[in-house]
Amino acid sequence: MMQGLPLDLIGWVFAVTLQMATPLVLAGLGGMYSERGGVVNIGLEGMMLMGAFTAAAVTYYTLNPWLGILAAVAAGGGLAAVHAIVCVKFKGNHIVSGTGIILFGAGFTTLMLEVVWHRKGYGETITNTIPDIVIEPIQNIPLIGQAFGVISPIVIFMFVATILSWYILFKTPFGLRLRAAGEDPSTLDSAGVSVEWTRAIGVIISGCLAGLGGAYLSIGFGSAFGKNMTDGRGFIALAAMIFGNWSPFGILIAGLFFGFLDGLNYAIQIYFPALLPYANFIAMLPYLLVVVALGVIRRSIPPKGIAIPYEKERKA
Amino acid sequence: MNASELSDAQKSGIGQRIENWILGLAKKVTDPSYRKQFIWSFASIVLALLVSSLIMLIAGYDPGLAYVYLAIGAFSRMDLVLYYATPLILTGLSVALAFKCGLFNIGAEGQLYIGSMAAALMGYLIALPIVIHPLACLAIGAIAGGLWGFVPGLLKAYRGAHEVVTTMMLSYTAILLTGWLVSSNGPFWDGSMVPRTPPLLDTALLPPLWGYSLHTGLILSIIAVFAVDFLINRTVLGYEMRAVGLNPDAAEYGGINSKRNIAIAMGLSGGLSGLAGSEEIMGTYGKFVANWSPGLGWDGITVAVLGNNSPWGVLAAAIFFGGLRAGGNTMHQVVGVPIEMVSVIQGLVVLFVAAPRIINWLVDNGNTIFKSMKEDPFEPSINLVSSILGLAILMLGLGMITSLYSLPSFTWINAATALVYVLVAILGVMIFIVYWSKRPDAGWFMLLAAVLWTIAGVLEIIGAGMSALTSFILAIFTFVLWLADRLIGRLLVTKKEDDIE
Repeated sequence: MMQGLPLDLIGWVFAVTLQMATPLVLAGLGGMYSERGGVVNIGLEGMMLMGAFTAAAVTYYTLNPWLGILAAVAAGGGLAAVHAIVCVKFKGNHIVSGTGIILFGAGFTTLMLEVVWHRKGYGETITNTIPDIVIEPIQNIPLIGQAFGVISPIVIFMFVATILSWYILFKTPFGLRLRAAGEDPSTLDSAGVSVEWTRAIGVIISGCLAGLGGAYLSIGFGSAFGKNMTDGRGFIALAAMIFGNWSPFGILIAGLFFGFLDGLNYAIQIYFPALLPYANFIAMLPYLLVVVALGVIRRSIPPKGIAIPYEKERKA
Repeated sequence: MNASELSDAQKSGIGQRIENWILGLAKKVTDPSYRKQFIWSFASIVLALLVSSLIMLIAGYDPGLAYVYLAIGAFSRMDLVLYYATPLILTGLSVALAFKCGLFNIGAEGQLYIGSMAAALMGYLIALPIVIHPLACLAIGAIAGGLWGFVPGLLKAYRGAHEVVTTMMLSYTAILLTGWLVSSNGPFWDGSMVPRTPPLLDTALLPPLWGYSLHTGLILSIIAVFAVDFLINRTVLGYEMRAVGLNPDAAEYGGINSKRNIAIAMGLSGGLSGLAGSEEIMGTYGKFVANWSPGLGWDGITVAVLGNNSPWGVLAAAIFFGGLRAGGNTMHQVVGVPIEMVSVIQGLVVLFVAAPRIINWLVDNGNTIFKSMKEDPFEPSINLVSSILGLAILMLGLGMITSLYSLPSFTWINAATALVYVLVAILGVMIFIVYWSKRPDAGWFMLLAAVLWTIAGVLEIIGAGMSALTSFILAIFTFVLWLADRLIGRLLVTKKEDDIE
């Protein structure tokens, strides 16, 4: 192999890390909005699938990937709205409802895959995917050039969304209300703000972000919709959220780390075939790390009012 | 029947005991809370089927025909129904048992994989005589699955790690781990192209019972229902688990070691899932194949939720879902609806069961509408007609979208029309909700619907669609209903003012 390989390789892993981290961070941030507001959202997987499918289908019909993105965000948000109605309005069990969302999302997208493309497994390849942005000045710098020189706008949006989420959550009245809805809903209620609406908006934002994350899989990074193409990423996003302690920058770091493990897996497959037998173990790492983090280190503290439906006190 | 009578009866002969059991069952069935639960579950299924038929409409299938063949398929192949139900009973029991102790075992899938792996190893590596071999395989499968569930149980009990997260993560770990074990790099690969173990020895297989696929595992599953029922309702351990499930702090105060119970409950729950996996490997697959499970653990959650976490409820729910699967095959073959429709139905059932208040809301508002109908039929009948119209608008809006599929080319105008129809369908739901709950400001939704139908009609004419006329007729109809609503509202207000005067 060539001399320059290590630097190239590192740059390549860097680029793959960013690509793999994007759906995780976006969905993880989504999960954060929901859980900060006090609604457990294990249905991220279903919402991502919904986003991935809708993005692919709409782009396939309209040949415009931006419409696809828009539709994916709407579809994710729509499925999340169902979760919000069940959990917030009708005070259902969050985890049961989330399971329903996962089942429904997986079933519905596979069903519609057959309806739209008349085949099983994988839809037709989409030619008009989201175009990458080429940043000329840094393209030839080693390391950075590979990762940031040619970059998908959704990857850039991931960073923007992280900063924006931090700002929204900690610097705006809405963020304060959302956190209050998760920590101490009765206080929020006595301040005259509707707990139900605050929570519902949090859940819907979570669905929109998860939908966007799914859209990146089907028309950003990939170029077709496949059956169950999220492949557990919704759960890894959930893990990233827990690992990142329900905070935007924590989720970014955790998501990048899990993305890096994914990138490492690819690097092994291409550059170090000798290590290939152990690829499954690297894939296992994020899951095991969460178990260890929760079980042994115990530093994650979810919002206090999580999963508890808020019942307004009756007027006497 | 009071307590002393009951204990006397229990002492006497076996006939008396059966009679008591039937009496107890009858008492349970007629119990109002039990009946309410049954109605909830049943109504959830009906609602899920209704919503699924809407989805079939969007997808361009005939829901009526599909359901007819679903039913035919399920009732003509009872052996297949029971075959599909066999593992679901066990995974359902697994989730239900954990839930009785207040735990949500979402990782039944992983425990199933670990259990089936262990059973497969026992089945092909070790030679044992004919009856002992399957029993040993089942035992080892249950133990392995149990250990995989015991770990999150321990972490929950002693470290406070939330079991939903840990079981879910361990579930993916299990799938990857077993996948590696049987892959070409793993120790238990059979050397073929497929990642799988060598076939189990003949002595380890579960003998067939009836039909093509039904195996003796069914008997085991039904025994498990009895056993779990006995465990939960008749033993000290079960009593303690239920106490912990209701309120861990109170149970602790009452002298029950909640931590120990939590760990044991998770272990037992994992054991049941492991048993389900072993049974499938030994009865159906004959070898462990990577990623073999079609989501049996996930379906277990559905089954437990629909069965309200009671063993007998789980049995009924598992047979119901087995029927869906078996009938789904026929539906797929005859009507061409993809088999995934079944998971859509399952997901919707779970969503409706999650929130029994949706059903309460429907029933309560329906009751008030029909009650006020007797006093003054005018206003409630407008509400009733309008909410039915809302549903009709939903159906028609979705049906219209499918009519757009058949157009030769997909243009911008058609996309816009489709969008308008989606909006109309959403509006239809809103109209139903608003009128069914008798909101005062309901009229504007009707007007908006009329406007949207008109827009849709205009778009259909521009885009050379086929259903412009339908859209205009509906626009006029909704507009007339809006007018009627307004006028009647006005009349009622003046009437009330007259009354006051």
